[in-house]
Amino acid sequence: MEQKIITIKEQIETAIEQRENLKIVGGNSKSFLGRDIVGSKIDMSDYTGVISYEPTELYISVKAGTLLSDVNKVLSEKNQILAFEPAEVNEKTTIGGVVATGLSGPRRPYAGSVRDFVLGISCINGLAKNMSFGGQVMKNVAGYDLSRLLTGSYGSLAVIYDVTFKVLPIPEFESSGCKQTSRQEALETMSELSVKSFPVSAACYYDGLLSVRFSGNKKVVKDSMQNFSLQEMDNSEQFWSELRNFKLPFFNSEKPIWRLSVPSSSNIGFEKDDYVIDWGGAQYWLASERPANEIFSLAEGFGGSALLFHGGDRSGDVFQPLSKGIFKLQQNLKQAFDPYRILNREKMYKTL
Amino acid sequence: MNFDNLRQFLPDEAVLLSEESRRVYECDALSAHRVIPGCVVLPDSVEQVQAVLRYCHANDIPVVARGAGTGLSGGAMPHAEGVLLILAKFDQIIEIDAKQRIARVQPGVRNLAISDAVKSHDLYYAPDPSSQIACTIGGNVAENSGGVHCLKYGLTVHNILQLKIITIEGDLLTIGSHALDSPGYDLLALFTGSEGMLGVIIEVTVKLLPKPPYSRVLLAAFDDIEKAGNSVAGIIANGIIPAGLEMMDKAGVRAVEDYIHAGYPVEAEAILLCELDGTEDEVLVTIDKVETLLKEYGAIEVRVARDENESLQFWAGRKAAFPAVGRIAPDYYCMDGTIPRKHIAEVLSKINILSEKYELAVVNVFHAGDGNLHPLILYDVAIPGELKRAEAFGSDILKLCVSIGGTITGEHGVGVEKINEMCVQFSEDELQQFHEVKAAFDKKGLLNPGKAVPTLNRCAEFGAMHVHKGHDKFPDLERF
Repeated sequence: MEQKIITIKEQIETAIEQRENLKIVGGNSKSFLGRDIVGSKIDMSDYTGVISYEPTELYISVKAGTLLSDVNKVLSEKNQILAFEPAEVNEKTTIGGVVATGLSGPRRPYAGSVRDFVLGISCINGLAKNMSFGGQVMKNVAGYDLSRLLTGSYGSLAVIYDVTFKVLPIPEFESSGCKQTSRQEALETMSELSVKSFPVSAACYYDGLLSVRFSGNKKVVKDSMQNFSLQEMDNSEQFWSELRNFKLPFFNSEKPIWRLSVPSSSNIGFEKDDYVIDWGGAQYWLASERPANEIFSLAEGFGGSALLFHGGDRSGDVFQPLSKGIFKLQQNLKQAFDPYRILNREKMYKTL
Repeated sequence: MNFDNLRQFLPDEAVLLSEESRRVYECDALSAHRVIPGCVVLPDSVEQVQAVLRYCHANDIPVVARGAGTGLSGGAMPHAEGVLLILAKFDQIIEIDAKQRIARVQPGVRNLAISDAVKSHDLYYAPDPSSQIACTIGGNVAENSGGVHCLKYGLTVHNILQLKIITIEGDLLTIGSHALDSPGYDLLALFTGSEGMLGVIIEVTVKLLPKPPYSRVLLAAFDDIEKAGNSVAGIIANGIIPAGLEMMDKAGVRAVEDYIHAGYPVEAEAILLCELDGTEDEVLVTIDKVETLLKEYGAIEVRVARDENESLQFWAGRKAAFPAVGRIAPDYYCMDGTIPRKHIAEVLSKINILSEKYELAVVNVFHAGDGNLHPLILYDVAIPGELKRAEAFGSDILKLCVSIGGTITGEHGVGVEKINEMCVQFSEDELQQFHEVKAAFDKKGLLNPGKAVPTLNRCAEFGAMHVHKGHDKFPDLERF
């Protein structure tokens, strides 16, 4: 066992004895997410490196503190990518934080989410037990799928220290196009893009402009661009990277930023608030001073959920409140992994 | 146990109490394991299922949920003192939303029936387990079923959005949503592949995909299994993800040829089937690339299907592999380990050595693209001791898979069949964590007891050595 793992186990054991809260930290690039919490730090940022990478097996195993930029670099040398397009919020973003928050980028509706690409996780739970679930192979149904359960659990079930991802080849060719249009028309186009076999890999509506990225065979991409009368974007790489990394001018708003995950057919109109539509209509970014309850009910009304992404009151509800029955299961799971409620206590919900 | 009381909640004909009517359900597709259920119920409404579960919970009665009973690991094997809850009457497609590319279906809807129902929209449901004509979606979710196309399109977990489940206490809950991400812990992922241990699935929302407009199959023959294995890695290294990538060894090819005359080259040591899909332009370009690659990797023959019919003919052999094997032996035992692809040749040669040791023939067909092996061990249940030998042989294959970094089950599930091998793949702490997760949903342990996760006592009795994810204590020693 590596020294780092022993240290984490000891930290947890001490915390159990002293009934102390622990706060798991990587590069701190997404510390604005979740509820504000206190606790002694478990610092993962010095636990770095690629454990194994086999391009022909389509997997990479990395230590949680590894910089996302380093992972992307290693993969790009072999013409491969993390297809869920995680955000590099700043140069300190680590892969552990990507998995803990489970946030996926613009390619998500067409390629899959973080958890879709997680094959295995090694972790230490709140009882200081060291465990591994999943593995390096795509097909694996032995035992409950706990590596996917841990993805997006904001460190509140276990300290994730090694992660294995499925990786994919870089698309052979990419091109993006845009056109000025109304929200209604943009959403209709987005829907048409998904229903037919177009090689779409991102679709966003921002500031009156529909932007679409296609990835795949060159001729098919070019034909698709023509089919929708899109004008080739000259700043496409910059645009998608700004959207992915929360760097579009929209994200500079002084107002609280909300992220709404809703069915792609929702078609929500905002008259007073600034917004960005991503994921082909299934994700809205909203800058709004409206009370949290109002936003939560709005999202729920469309069959989706809201997350107070940036700013606002971080001591109240940040994640969509859950139904009683579902919340009870969340509490039972917290109990199953971390009965003393030591790890990232209250990060997701006040009583978790 | 008094099951008569269940007639309070269900019509008389939906509660089967006589021995002959219960015997019909004594096993799923793993017919070597049989138990006559204490009682069989066939509810047709959510309220009835809730009432049955509430009653069982209050009276500590075990419950085993069952769909079409096509599972290969005994996951739906009944409990002698329990209720077998059959969901076959829940066979309605509730809603198809072509614009959102989703369908909301009841758990007893057959896998293939979903694709058939959305055909007119040029959509389909991607996971295609080989039993798709008969298996139902509830069971697919419970087992996280795969199929021949999951290298490109993923498993069940990648292709569903929302579940409605009933807890053992009888509460109806919605897990996930029609949005892509849902708040809280990912219960949808946890539920998928949980083998009926956490709750009863009563509705599934599946994602639908646009039908690829064009597809073609290539057939390559190799005189050496290692070359065939290397060519799989070669295709992927070149940035190509085929829709399907299947391999079959010589014994498999011969069995298939004797059965349906698919035109497979019988002199080959291994054949590879590679399906490419997408738009016509895209597929035609990729076919040329793959053909060249296969030749570079030493294929002695590469055939490209000229049209849709020939593609189907190439597939026909692979699809007939199991019945073909059924013709050459009275019984066969199908294994389901997954390994890192690079070890294919090594594992196959070790399986052949084991075959000699146990004096049982073996045929290998497998999903080469994702390293999922299906060795078929041939035996005759009428010969005393052969079933036991076949099971021991199978167990050794699974241990071999774990020792090189693979897993004991890729898509068939643990059920009762591979419960001992779970002790090899997982440590005590990991198994204990599984039990804690189970207790989070089912404190009394009434749902499908004795399946999927072994007790620590059972592992102690089995006496297996936990092999840590490919890091054997003595990696140089050969272990069979």
